[in-house]
Amino acid sequence: MIRVQGAECRVGGFRLKGIDLEVAKGEYFVLLGPPGSGKTVFLECLCGLQRLRSGRIEIGGEDVTLLEPRRRGIGYVPQDYALFPHRSVAQNIAFGLVARKVPSSERDRRVDEAAGRLGIRHLLAREIAGLSGGEKQRVALARALAVEPRVLLLDEPVSALDEATRESVCLELRRIQRGSGASLIHVCHNFEEARLVGDRLGVMRDGALVQTGTSEDLFSRPKDAEMARFLRAGNLFEGTAAAGGLVRVGPLEIRSEVAAEGRVAVSIPPDEIVLSSGPAGAGEANVLEGKVVLASPRGAFARVDVEAGPGLRITVHLPKPYALPALEARVTLRFPPSAVRVFKP
Amino acid sequence: MSRVRGGSDRLLGAALFLFVGLFAAFAVVLIAADALYIDRKAVAAVLGADFVRDALWRSLWTSVVATAVALLFAVPVGYALSRYRFPGHLLVDTLVDLPIVFPPLVAGMTLLVFFHQTALGRWIEAPLSEGGLGLKFSFQPAGIVLCQFVLSASFAIRSAKSAFDEVDRRLEDVALTLGCTPWGSLLRVSLPLARGGILAGGIMTWARAFGIFGPLMIFVGTFRGRTEVLSTTIFLEQSVGNLEVALAVALLLIGVALVALMTIRLVGGRAWVKP
Repeated sequence: MIRVQGAECRVGGFRLKGIDLEVAKGEYFVLLGPPGSGKTVFLECLCGLQRLRSGRIEIGGEDVTLLEPRRRGIGYVPQDYALFPHRSVAQNIAFGLVARKVPSSERDRRVDEAAGRLGIRHLLAREIAGLSGGEKQRVALARALAVEPRVLLLDEPVSALDEATRESVCLELRRIQRGSGASLIHVCHNFEEARLVGDRLGVMRDGALVQTGTSEDLFSRPKDAEMARFLRAGNLFEGTAAAGGLVRVGPLEIRSEVAAEGRVAVSIPPDEIVLSSGPAGAGEANVLEGKVVLASPRGAFARVDVEAGPGLRITVHLPKPYALPALEARVTLRFPPSAVRVFKP
Repeated sequence: MSRVRGGSDRLLGAALFLFVGLFAAFAVVLIAADALYIDRKAVAAVLGADFVRDALWRSLWTSVVATAVALLFAVPVGYALSRYRFPGHLLVDTLVDLPIVFPPLVAGMTLLVFFHQTALGRWIEAPLSEGGLGLKFSFQPAGIVLCQFVLSASFAIRSAKSAFDEVDRRLEDVALTLGCTPWGSLLRVSLPLARGGILAGGIMTWARAFGIFGPLMIFVGTFRGRTEVLSTTIFLEQSVGNLEVALAVALLLIGVALVALMTIRLVGGRAWVKP
């Protein structure tokens, strides 16, 4: 549905570096990245608000690279929603329909339908000033959906909402997207938010799309140490790789299934480490001993931090039902070599 | 605002209103001094004089036309300066402010030299039968409008640019994605949101145009019944020693300006200034 090939763009001193991306029809794609990584510029390129220096953009099989924004069939919700403050909620939703000269009876029907889908019929006569952040978000979505776009582009749609309502709104976004059948690109900088809604995720860094995949792909196989750090993969250490998949991290020897040499970074997902009290068996790899320095329930799991050496703090996620170890208790950590990720430092 | 107030609020309020009071008192005292100087005879002479009514009417229509023309330029020029970066942007932006800086007399001299000493100026004023444009400005009522435009358009353009600067560009972007052409985005989003600032610029422009004097003396002269406006009436009357009449006309000019400005602010303010 959306196909981007080698998209390059320059805005001031910032450069978008040859983005390649495909988003399938009806897919919910989340574009992640730290602030300043180029997510918004990329969305603006898709909208036609920034001209590509090179590359090609297709929407629904049609080459839209040189098409004006109004001819691309997109619904765009920018950060802070950009609602028209001089128009009522109903006029905001109807704006695109008026611009497209949709007859007034059809326009009223579509405004009512979009408002109904987002549960804001009671707001239609209200002015924009005085709406809450959540109400503004719904109006902006209704305005984008009313024109029945082929593609929805949402730039940090829940960043203005409070922590408590973000999750429910994200799930609702997903429901709305499924109902509309449009392909959707949702930009954010929070991996948990992305994991919650996205069929597939992509991570941008310094104007480049570094990695795409499902949330599991990204989390379990981050491309490099920086990606692991951004995704908060956990237990990220620098070490020296030796023959046979061995990595030395300080005084510890960690065995992996990856053949590497020289300086490397290793990551051990916290939910792949098992906490036990038994000693290491003969020839058993990746058995570490340490002292519990943190034991804290976190809802569905408990977080336990173990000091396995000087400055070497390893985090373990214990699934329910768990028995929290006492602070200062001596414990043994076990994890298989297959759980150890090795990448460039 | 209904927050809880303390002693420092009262102190700040007292300081602010001291300056407000001093400024207002200064203006009122000056006007009162004029009013006290004149007598009923002068007022009667002014109110009954055809030449004063004629000058008042000319002051009004020329300043309104000059304001309309200034706004006609202000919207596109202000929008272009606000939204586009083009070669010469800094120069044009500076040129807009130039008439605010130079003495009004210079505008009159410059217009006179342009229309009488350059081929282009002479061609504009030359009759159609002689191959010119046939637009007479020097020593004509149209020249009054031109002088007013030259000296006051800066206010309209500067205000329009500031008003467009205040409009969030992303609103225009969203309008484009929703199906608007750039024209549609300007007319349906930017212009309605900038109208308060544009109207404020219009008020400043009219106020400046209504009271203009210096360039008129040089470029259009002070021909009674043809190019006389209230400001030149004041000059003519005081130059022949009719100080009371000159001051009565001055008070008339001040009164008309006060009523017009307050009406625009009261009526226009409600409907226009708040977008």
